[in-house]
Amino acid sequence: MTDSKYFTTTKKGEIFELKAELNSDKKEKKKEAVKKVIASMTVGKDVSALFTDVVNCMQTENLELKKLVYLYLMNYAKSQSDTAIISVNTFVKDCEDSNPLIRALAVRTMGCIRVDKITEYLCEPLRKCLKDEDPYVRKTAAVCVAKMHDINAQLVEDQGFLDLLKDLLSDSNPMVVANAVAAISEILETSPTAQQSLEMNIGTINKLLTALNECSEWGQVFILDAISNYNPKDDKEAQSICERVTPRLAHANAAVVLSAVKVIMKLMEMLDPHSDYITMLVKKLSPPLVTLLSAEPEIQYVALRNINLIVQKRSDILKAEMKVFFVKYNDPIYVKLEKLDIMIRLTNQGNIAQVLAELKEYATEVDVDFVRKSVRAIGRCAIKVEQAAERCVSTLLDLIQTKVNYVVQEAIVVIKDIFRKYPNKYESIIATLCENLDTLDEPEARASMIWIIGEYAERIDNADELLESFLEGFQDENTQVQLQLLTAIVKLFLKRPTDTQELVQQVLSLATQDSDNPDLRDRGYIYWRLLSTDPAAAKEVVLAEKPLISEETDLLEPTLLDELICHISSLASVYHKPPNAFVEGKASLRRSLPPRSQSDSMDAQPASSLESPTSNVSSAPQATVIPGADSLIGDLLDMDLGGPTPFQQQQMYQQMPQQSQPQQSGVVDFLGGEGLDSLLGGGGGMDSLGGLGDIFGAASSNSYVPPAEVWLPASKGKGLEINGTFARKNGQIFMELTFTNKAMQPMVGFAIQFNRNSFGLTPASPLQVQSPLIPNSSASASLQLNTSGQIQKMDPLLMVQVAVKNSIDVFYFSSMIPQHVLFTEDGEMDKKEFLASWKEIPTTNEVQYVITDVQHNADTVSQKLRNNNIFTIAKRNVEGQDMLYQSLKLTNGIKVLAELKIAPGNPNFTVNNTTPVCDTLHLSMKCRVLDIYTGIQTAYDTILHN
Amino acid sequence: MGGLLSYFSGLFGSKERRILILGLDGAGKTTILYRLQVGEVVTTIPTIGFNVETVTYKNLKFQVWDLGGQTSIRPYWRCYYSNTDAIIYVVDSMDRDRIGISKQELVAMLEEDELKKAILLVFANKQDIEGAMTVTEVANALGLPALKNRKYQIFKTSAIKGEGLDEAMEWLSNAVQQNK
Repeated sequence: MTDSKYFTTTKKGEIFELKAELNSDKKEKKKEAVKKVIASMTVGKDVSALFTDVVNCMQTENLELKKLVYLYLMNYAKSQSDTAIISVNTFVKDCEDSNPLIRALAVRTMGCIRVDKITEYLCEPLRKCLKDEDPYVRKTAAVCVAKMHDINAQLVEDQGFLDLLKDLLSDSNPMVVANAVAAISEILETSPTAQQSLEMNIGTINKLLTALNECSEWGQVFILDAISNYNPKDDKEAQSICERVTPRLAHANAAVVLSAVKVIMKLMEMLDPHSDYITMLVKKLSPPLVTLLSAEPEIQYVALRNINLIVQKRSDILKAEMKVFFVKYNDPIYVKLEKLDIMIRLTNQGNIAQVLAELKEYATEVDVDFVRKSVRAIGRCAIKVEQAAERCVSTLLDLIQTKVNYVVQEAIVVIKDIFRKYPNKYESIIATLCENLDTLDEPEARASMIWIIGEYAERIDNADELLESFLEGFQDENTQVQLQLLTAIVKLFLKRPTDTQELVQQVLSLATQDSDNPDLRDRGYIYWRLLSTDPAAAKEVVLAEKPLISEETDLLEPTLLDELICHISSLASVYHKPPNAFVEGKASLRRSLPPRSQSDSMDAQPASSLESPTSNVSSAPQATVIPGADSLIGDLLDMDLGGPTPFQQQQMYQQMPQQSQPQQSGVVDFLGGEGLDSLLGGGGGMDSLGGLGDIFGAASSNSYVPPAEVWLPASKGKGLEINGTFARKNGQIFMELTFTNKAMQPMVGFAIQFNRNSFGLTPASPLQVQSPLIPNSSASASLQLNTSGQIQKMDPLLMVQVAVKNSIDVFYFSSMIPQHVLFTEDGEMDKKEFLASWKEIPTTNEVQYVITDVQHNADTVSQKLRNNNIFTIAKRNVEGQDMLYQSLKLTNGIKVLAELKIAPGNPNFTVNNTTPVCDTLHLSMKCRVLDIYTGIQTAYDTILHN
Repeated sequence: MGGLLSYFSGLFGSKERRILILGLDGAGKTTILYRLQVGEVVTTIPTIGFNVETVTYKNLKFQVWDLGGQTSIRPYWRCYYSNTDAIIYVVDSMDRDRIGISKQELVAMLEEDELKKAILLVFANKQDIEGAMTVTEVANALGLPALKNRKYQIFKTSAIKGEGLDEAMEWLSNAVQQNK
């Protein structure tokens, strides 16, 4: 007997039995069978073999059975993606069922079946359900649109579902509105292309605000989040939204409160900082935030993390509420630490006494982390409130006297900072510090102490001994300590050169000869060289005046802070990281606060970059997002057409050296590219932007001319050889011909004629060839062509058949016109026109190519193409890849739009610095005429590779 | 004795008979199904998948499966073959171009083991339209005369007008009862 029996399908076993039961006539048995199948599925058995049998039970009156089958489908449709098609008709039917529950169930399940192949069949039922009479069905359908968008965004957008979804924003039922908003937000997060069709306007915002009052708390969260993404057009609008959102601050649900806070924080940016309204808002924001702190510790923590951001942005909001941030004995440690952080931020002259008393108390707690942070907090208070510095220092000294190891260490670290902030004020305490030298075992504390000794070497009599004692274990020290020790000893030597020469020799040799750490060696060598060549210079370098440290430490970088303010009430605000730092695969749509703009000063430049009015930290210029006045440009460029303000332009120059500035919003990124100046039409003074100056010059002279090829070999031309090529010069097409006489007799009477061709090319003037053309000589001729000839579509499209006559005979040959000579000089589209056309041309007309091994960067690519009348209209940088938007026009008026994505090449290809990076370009084109794509692609290819 | 038994089984209709309605897309399968079930013409869209309804005719219960006829769905017909009592094969009598394809599908289907005992009814549908192929033409085009070992019958029907369906059902109910 062979072993083949093991491979034949058995007609036994569980699956087989289930199959029989599923096909049973009896409904009860069938239902039981489906239940068994689901049970197996739940415990992880593979029951996908029963797919058709289960799906066949789908058409049933029994709601329970139907639900079970749906559950099965959601689980297995993906793995049985081909067979899943047989379920389509049932969905279609169920979506028209008289029972709204079944309709909703069907539409929900449809969204969960992630099978691309059947998605298109589900469009019609979904469309019906979006207009269903029952709100429950409509709201389920709204969510389904978002799910479908995730599976096939193009389909959803082409089928007009986005518009239907937007219509639901004005639905009479608030739950439907909330779900539509949620769906829209989700779509916007992943698809930048949908942005334009889903752009909110004040009308929809007003509808949302109306629905806000009526829907469930989670619906309110979605609505508030959507409102926070809207940029009002002026301060009046912002104020009216604020007014309607403010009541939400009193909501019992913490998420609703935080979302409302987010909206208000964002809109406050647009309001006049000195208005009474702002003062009132500030007053109103504080009680709800305080209330959040009476919830469970977990919620408290989330609230505290958000409050941390809020007080960094607007410290006036909670300035009177210091007491609520005082730590309670039973707070979990994470809440304690976070409260401490906020306490420091709120500390001012008025409340310092209170704070200090608290902190002193905390420093005697048992939790090590908390005590450390408290000690550090005292130091930070000293740095922040000058008047209290003395008290802080004495408090720290008291703490040092406790001799608790970690307290002492932490105190020394902050005292170092205090010395830096207030030089020559508290040095009297150095002696006390030195007493504790032996207890320091943490690198940071040791390094701080060493720094103090080095810095004040002249005042510490035994500084050399102290430092020497550290030197003994030099090799075992942490790098930080080693570096500090090296510097401190050099300082000591510069201050007391007489008796420390040996010491400095020792440390330099340790650093340079016995160390593996390149940083340490480098620093050692630099000092050595300095000391040996010019001790005076060494003194100036090493003992240079140090800048004072700023009063605020641990502040978030202002642009990041602004971005996080826009993400209040999300994970980003808890992490204090932008979402794209921890969520993969999301379109990195950066949010930023709106600029202040007043309705009465709306002029040609609606947006001006104003520094954030209240914050004392945002002295750095901030990127601005211009409220989307023109929805057309929303998706592609997200910027205003009015041109940059002088300030922005200045900013742009500052940015040029850095290729990309991650902290800046997309607007400025785009401004930094070359697209803008060509848009503005005035390239003057832009030369610094990378050789763009000559864009507007005689570009045609640089047009690519393919090498001449033999069109008519002498063997076929009875001794006449014709070489030639096509070129575009000064807006005209030329045929460059070289005639060579390889026959025995002179040739005269040259003439040329073109057959009808696809682009109507025909000679504009008679052929001028040196005549007679004597044997063994050549003559060249430049024949100007125009496109007024008769048109006949050729195959291949670019072929032109030519007849040349001379005294011997008439010869025929055909040659291929390089597509790019047909690109006209006026092919540069207006940006708006480009966007409109790109939308108008159906996606089916879009084709994509990959061009590899291009040895250029975005600037040179667009320069090269521009020389050949392919115009870059706009450029932007998306995640490190340059995107160029280009247009061109053919002599016969056909316009082609292109998007060119430049993917940086593999750096391994770069042999040395002189070899440019090899890039891969992804070209996608749109045009109404499909035949020309090949030619255009070849044109791109040849231009970029020559 | 046998007659008496069949009389009772007919009376109580203990078992549902399983019927498949097959045919190329657009032949009128779904229209026939609902004509049989509710007696009305319903507006239909192409069936991507299947419809299943219970049809009662003269105390006999039929579980009727109408399967989509599009090329992409035909491969899944086989999932429905087992335990089938009868096949109603619907042909669009106006569709002369695809009668060949229709024949191929029919022949391929009849070769299936699971359908060896199934009764075949061919509906030459859309007889209400002028210029439709006659029953004989359809029968010949499908190669019905060459069928062996198969109980079959062809009917001229018009689902829209409801013509021919009654006769067919009458024949079917007799045939399934005899088959027992």
